[in-house]
Amino acid sequence: MSLYLTGTFADKAEAVQAIKQLKANGYEPADLTVFSDEPVEFPRGVLDRPSHMSLAVVSGAVLFFLLVVAFVYYTEYNYTLVTGGMPIFSFWPTGVVFYEVTMAGAILTTTVWFIWESGLLRRDKSIPVPTIEPEVICLRVRCGAPAQLETAATVLEQAGAQNVGKLEKAA
Amino acid sequence: MALPTIPYHQVRDDLWRPLAGASRRYTLTLSFLCAVALWGLIAWGYQIYEGIGVAGIRRPVFWGFYLVDFVFWIGISHAGTLISAILRLTDADWRKPVTRAAEAITAFALMIGGMFPLIHLGRVWLFYWLFPYPNSRLLWPNFRSPLMWDVTAISTYLTGSLIFLYLPLIPDVAQLAEHAKGWRLPLYRLMALGWSGSDREWHALERAMKLMAGIILAVAVSVHSVVAWDFAMAIAPMWHSTIFAPYFVVGAIFSGLAGLIIALNIIRKTMHLERYLTPHHFGNLAKLLLLMSLLWLYFTFAEHLTVWYGNEPKEMNVFGARVRGRFSTEFWGMVIVNFVIPFILLGIKKLRSITTATIASVGILIGMWLERYLIIIPTLSLPRLAAASGRYSPSWVEISITVATFAAMAALYLIFSKLFPIVSVWEFEPHEQEEE
Repeated sequence: MSLYLTGTFADKAEAVQAIKQLKANGYEPADLTVFSDEPVEFPRGVLDRPSHMSLAVVSGAVLFFLLVVAFVYYTEYNYTLVTGGMPIFSFWPTGVVFYEVTMAGAILTTTVWFIWESGLLRRDKSIPVPTIEPEVICLRVRCGAPAQLETAATVLEQAGAQNVGKLEKAA
Repeated sequence: MALPTIPYHQVRDDLWRPLAGASRRYTLTLSFLCAVALWGLIAWGYQIYEGIGVAGIRRPVFWGFYLVDFVFWIGISHAGTLISAILRLTDADWRKPVTRAAEAITAFALMIGGMFPLIHLGRVWLFYWLFPYPNSRLLWPNFRSPLMWDVTAISTYLTGSLIFLYLPLIPDVAQLAEHAKGWRLPLYRLMALGWSGSDREWHALERAMKLMAGIILAVAVSVHSVVAWDFAMAIAPMWHSTIFAPYFVVGAIFSGLAGLIIALNIIRKTMHLERYLTPHHFGNLAKLLLLMSLLWLYFTFAEHLTVWYGNEPKEMNVFGARVRGRFSTEFWGMVIVNFVIPFILLGIKKLRSITTATIASVGILIGMWLERYLIIIPTLSLPRLAAASGRYSPSWVEISITVATFAAMAALYLIFSKLFPIVSVWEFEPHEQEEE
């Protein structure tokens, strides 16, 4: 069972130092989580979170485009309108419908992917979450063994963390 | 002179304060607005019961106030997309206190605008026939029709706008959930989706907002283009124009900005947010408004010059009615409030202030409503077949519904500002105060 340790930083540079040191001590980025009440941007390479959101959104848009083209094509042939000798299915007059549904695909995929990538709704409730104080960066470290807990605590304190302590799940 | 920085807890207290309790003035205003909106609903109910004949629309003017209102409200909805999406994409810092107020306008204006095609339907209870679904009547919507384009465009835009409003609201409602009591607690908890403030959540939110800003911008432009094509695809005098789509988009952004300035000024005064919505914000918005006023004039001039130079008799009938005929008062009134007044009040630096920007904006809203009236009514009154000409005067039902939509918009805005911080708390970084 994993143990969790937290330390709070008033300064971003100290938090960066702590993350670098923890990584040097064998901690993976997946073991480290930063909590704050506003977005904190770290320099590239410190705590990168790879994302496939753009690719997913483009894929979602393409999928919706193909679906709407197929839908319009087959329904126009199944429920034929009098077109006065013009083609039953024509790409241009239906282009706006294709465009809007493609965009709807992109919007819905962005939303779904945001919920997935952020971990909302699928968070492991057994993992404790620290309470965030305003203007403070809180670093949570996941440790596999009690010995790791000591190493992490030393690194956090050396980097300038305050309130270093074991994080228990709230009752 | 550098003034002291506003501490974070002060920012939060100031922006959360309007959420607590409801003053007597707030309750009275909301009650009045709800009563006016209810009157509009009664008028609509009367129209449903008696039939569409109780409206003033008659042959050949089949599109009256309802379509004017539809185009007007869809235009207002562009406030949120322009301010929020463009400024988010360009990382403009000054947008931060303004974006949520703008995004809320988009969502509510779209809801109201989207109702007008339904109000305009003769038999509104059959509205779902517009949606494609398998049925035994072998009826299917015509995807080639610009009205069907409207259905898809507005549905997509409304979905996107609601999500665009909701996503940056999540961190704020998560914080509110920690302090809320009573019925607000389950609402905020539900909306927060378990937000904890982790870096994964922030990264995902920022990526999603960047992507959404790009997408919503493309959708917003397409929506008002589609609204313009409702007219431009018809070979009617002064409608069949290639510049109608950009002309409508410019007009939409113009009226949207004006709506936003008015809303922000009311919020600033009533919620005492003078430290957050500063003259700097209004100054930037006023400059944007002036730019849009000039663009609007350019498009209006280009549109009318082309028609005048072409001298095609049927087009000239409508042109003449607008410029020197029975619609000339509305036409020149529109030019004065959309260009002359904003140009003087916002173009001269000494005159530019929050008050003058608001005065110009009120005029612009009236002017842009008139513009839509002048696009729709003269053309329908004077069709190509001279014998089919007619006149239009709105009935009390149409006027009541039109007035009610303004009240409904204000009421929705008031309710929203009581439930959620109208300025995004997490986006508002503590900063040095600006001198008035």
